[in-house]
Amino acid sequence: MTFRTNYTVNKTTRFRLLSEDQKARIYRGVIKTLNDTGANVFHDEVREILGKNGCKVDGKRVRIPPEVVRDALASLPPTTTLYSWDGNEEMCYVEPGRSYFGPGPTPPNFNDPDTLERRPYIRKDATTVARVCDALPNIGYVQSLGSISDVTNGLADVYEFADMIQNTRKIIMNWAFSEENVADEHRIGIVMAGGEEAFKQRPNFIHYSEPISPLTSDVDAIGKCLYCAKHRIPQVYTPCCIGGATVPATHAGQIIVAMSESMVGVVLSQIVNPGTCIIIGGVQSILDMRRTIYSYGAPELGIMSAAFTEMLNYVGLPMYSTSGCTDTKKMELQSGIEAAFSIHMAMLSGANFVHDNGYTESGITGDIFQTVMDDEIIGMSRLIAGGVEVNEETLAVEEICNIGPGGHYLYEDHTMKWFRHHWQPTLMDRNSYEDWDAQGRLTMKDRIVKKTRDIIENYEGPASRVPEDAKKDIQKILDKAEERVRSQS
Amino acid sequence: MAVDLGQMAELLIAGKVDDVEKMTEQAIDDGMDPSDILQKGLIAGMDVVGQRFKACDMFIPEVLRSAKAMGAGMKQLRPKLVASGAKMAGTMVIGTVKGDLHDIGKNLVGMMFEGAGFQVVNLGIDLDTQVFVDAVKEHKPELLGMSALLTTTMPKMGEVINALKEAGVRDQVKVMVGGAPVTEEFAKEIGADIYGANAASSVDKAKEVLEA
Ligand code: B1M
Repeated sequence: MTFRTNYTVNKTTRFRLLSEDQKARIYRGVIKTLNDTGANVFHDEVREILGKNGCKVDGKRVRIPPEVVRDALASLPPTTTLYSWDGNEEMCYVEPGRSYFGPGPTPPNFNDPDTLERRPYIRKDATTVARVCDALPNIGYVQSLGSISDVTNGLADVYEFADMIQNTRKIIMNWAFSEENVADEHRIGIVMAGGEEAFKQRPNFIHYSEPISPLTSDVDAIGKCLYCAKHRIPQVYTPCCIGGATVPATHAGQIIVAMSESMVGVVLSQIVNPGTCIIIGGVQSILDMRRTIYSYGAPELGIMSAAFTEMLNYVGLPMYSTSGCTDTKKMELQSGIEAAFSIHMAMLSGANFVHDNGYTESGITGDIFQTVMDDEIIGMSRLIAGGVEVNEETLAVEEICNIGPGGHYLYEDHTMKWFRHHWQPTLMDRNSYEDWDAQGRLTMKDRIVKKTRDIIENYEGPASRVPEDAKKDIQKILDKAEERVRSQS
Repeated sequence: MAVDLGQMAELLIAGKVDDVEKMTEQAIDDGMDPSDILQKGLIAGMDVVGQRFKACDMFIPEVLRSAKAMGAGMKQLRPKLVASGAKMAGTMVIGTVKGDLHDIGKNLVGMMFEGAGFQVVNLGIDLDTQVFVDAVKEHKPELLGMSALLTTTMPKMGEVINALKEAGVRDQVKVMVGGAPVTEEFAKEIGADIYGANAASSVDKAKEVLEA
C-alpha cells in the first residue's frame, strides 16, 4: 500500500451556503435578540429556573445573556444513542454527520390506502404508518402522519404512541397535548424498554414540541420541554416559522427568530439536566403571499433549512429539518418534484432528523404513499451525497490496463465486487418499452400504490414480538388516561 | 383647497396609513360629505386593491397595508357616518377558540375585514366560550368570527354558538367560522352562518350574507 502525506479526501459531496462571516453575523443576531429582547415564557416554574440561572426575568419576559447561551451550548452532549424498544439495536445517533429521514406529526387528514381519497385520520392509520415505515429501508425514524380522530378527545397522542411503538422497532418521535400526556407516553416507553432503568440506558423515543413564533414559549410547550429535560428524554423543540408573517420575510432574519425562540428550550434543558439531548430546527418556510398558504413545497423551505442546518452545526446543535413534502393534494408530478428538491437539499446540508416526508396539501393531509415515494428519493439522494470514492482500488488503473482497448469489464472480479454499489431502483422504471408494455404500462403512481399496499398486506412487523405483559401494562396506562380525562371534564 | 378623493384612493392603494388618516380628517374638517369620503376615497381605493389582488398585481402584505389605511380612515369617519345615518360595514368580533394558540390566520382574516370597512375587535387566542358571549353583548357586532386550527378545538366553536343561544343573543349576530381543518359541512353542522376558506373569500362571503 502506498502512503500519501497531506492528502485531502472529500468523503461526501460538499455543500456550503454560508461563509464563516455570514454565520458569525447571524449568530450575533441571535445573541443580541436573546440578550436585548428575549422571549415570553408562560410557565412560572420555568421562569423561576431561568431567573435563578443567569437569565433576566421581567414579568413573562426572559432575557438570556450571551454567557448563559455559551454555557448551555458547551454542556450539550456530543452524541446521544437511541435504541429499538427491545434494546437490541442502536437505531439512531444524534450527532453530526448522521441523517435520518422520517414522516411528520399530526395532520388532521390521511390519504386512505384503499380509496386514495382524503378522510379524517383514524386510529388504525397509526399502525399502518408504523408498519410501512418499519419496512422502508431509507426511513430512519417514525412519526405518525396524522392525529387520531376516533379516540377520546385529548388522548390522540397517547393512543398513537401506544400503537406505533408496538409496530416498529425504529425510533418514534412522539408529540403530546400536555405535560400529563408526555408522562403517559414516557410510561409507555418505559414499559416497552422493560423498566425505568432500562429506558434511561436505552431511550426508545424522542419527544417533539413547539415554541410559538415570534419569540414565545407557551405553558404546554415549555412544560413538555421541562418534563423531558428532567427525565433526560431526548427531545426536539422547534417552531413552524411562517416567513413574512410570524417572522421576517428574509431568510437570515427568519433563522435568527427561529434559533432564538428555540434557544429558550436549549438553555432550560441544559440548566435542568446538563448533557440531555435537545434538537432544534423546525419547519422553515414562507407564507404564499397570494394564497395565504404556509408552503411545504417552496424552494425557500429547502434553502432556509439548509442554511439553518449550517448555523446549528456552527454552534454544535443537531438539526431537525424538513423534506419530502408537497403543496399538492394528489400524488402527481408536483409532489415528486417538490419532494426531490427538499430531500436532496436536506441530505446535502447534512441535517440530522428530517421530517415531513409524507406531508401533502401543505401539511393538512398525511400520505403514506408519499412517504414510500420519498423513501426511493432518499435512496438516490444518499448515493449522490456519498460522493466519489478515490483510492487505489477504485481508480482501477490495473484493470483498465489489463483490459486495454476494446473488450469489456463484465467478467472481472473488480466488477463483481463493485457493481453492487450501484443504486437499485424499487420504483423508478428502467424497463424497455416492450417490458413496460407487457407489465401493464404502470406509471410511477401505480408502482407506488402497488408497493405500499404490498407492504401493508404482507409485511411482518415486530407486533407479534411484543411481550403480553407489556401489552397489558400499556392498556392499563391508556385506561388510566381515560379515567383522568373523564374526571377532568 | 378641497381634499382630492382620487388622491386619497391612490394613497390608500399605496398603503400610506398616516397620509390616509390625515386626509380623511382634513376632508371631514372641510365639511365634505362622509358618504362621499367613504365611497369615492376609501372604498374606491380598496376596490382597486381587490382587483389588483385578484390579478396578482398586489400581494397580501400590500393588501394588508391598504386595509390598515382603510381602518385608519374609518376610525375618523365612522362617528360621522353613524351621525349621518349612512350605510357602512359594521363591527366584527374575531378570536381563536379555547385551547388553540394559532394566531396568524385569524389575524389575517381580521385585517382583511378591516380593509372591507369593518370595525374589527380582535379578542386574541385561547379564548373561553364566555369571552365570545360577553364580547357579543358588549360590542353588538354584526359578525362574530371564530378560528380553530385543531380538530380537537373545532368543537369549541359549536359550544360558543350554543352559549350564544343560551344567552339569547344568537339572532343578533351572524357567525363565521374558519381555520385549516374546518370544512363547509362542519360549519353547517354546528349551525354557523358562514364558512370562510381563506381571508380573501371570507370577506366576499360575509358581505353577501350580511347584505342579503
Ligand atoms: C372567522 O372566520 C374565519 C375565516 C377564515 C379563517 C379563519 C376564521 N381562520 C382561518 N381562516 C382561513 O383564513 C386564513 C387566511 O387565509 C387561513 O388561516 P390559516 O391559519 O389556515 O393560514 C395561515 C395564514 C397560515 N397557516 C398557519 O398559520 C398554520 C400553519 C401550521 C403549520 C401550524 C403552525 C404555524 C403552528 N402550530 Co400547529 N400548525 C398547523 C398548520 C398546518 C397548516 N398547513 O395549516 C396545524 C394546524 N397545527 C397542528 C398541531 C397538531 C399543532 N400545532 C401547534 C402549534 C403550532 C405553532 C404554535 C408552532 C404554530 C402557530 C404559530 C402562530 N403564531 O400562529 C400545537 C398546538 C398548539 C395549540 N394549543 O394551539 C400542535 C398540537 C403541535 C404540537 N405537537 O404541539 C396540526 C393540526 C392537526 C389537527 N388534527 O388538527 C396542523 C395541521 C399541523 C400538522 N400538519 O400537523 C384559513 O384557514
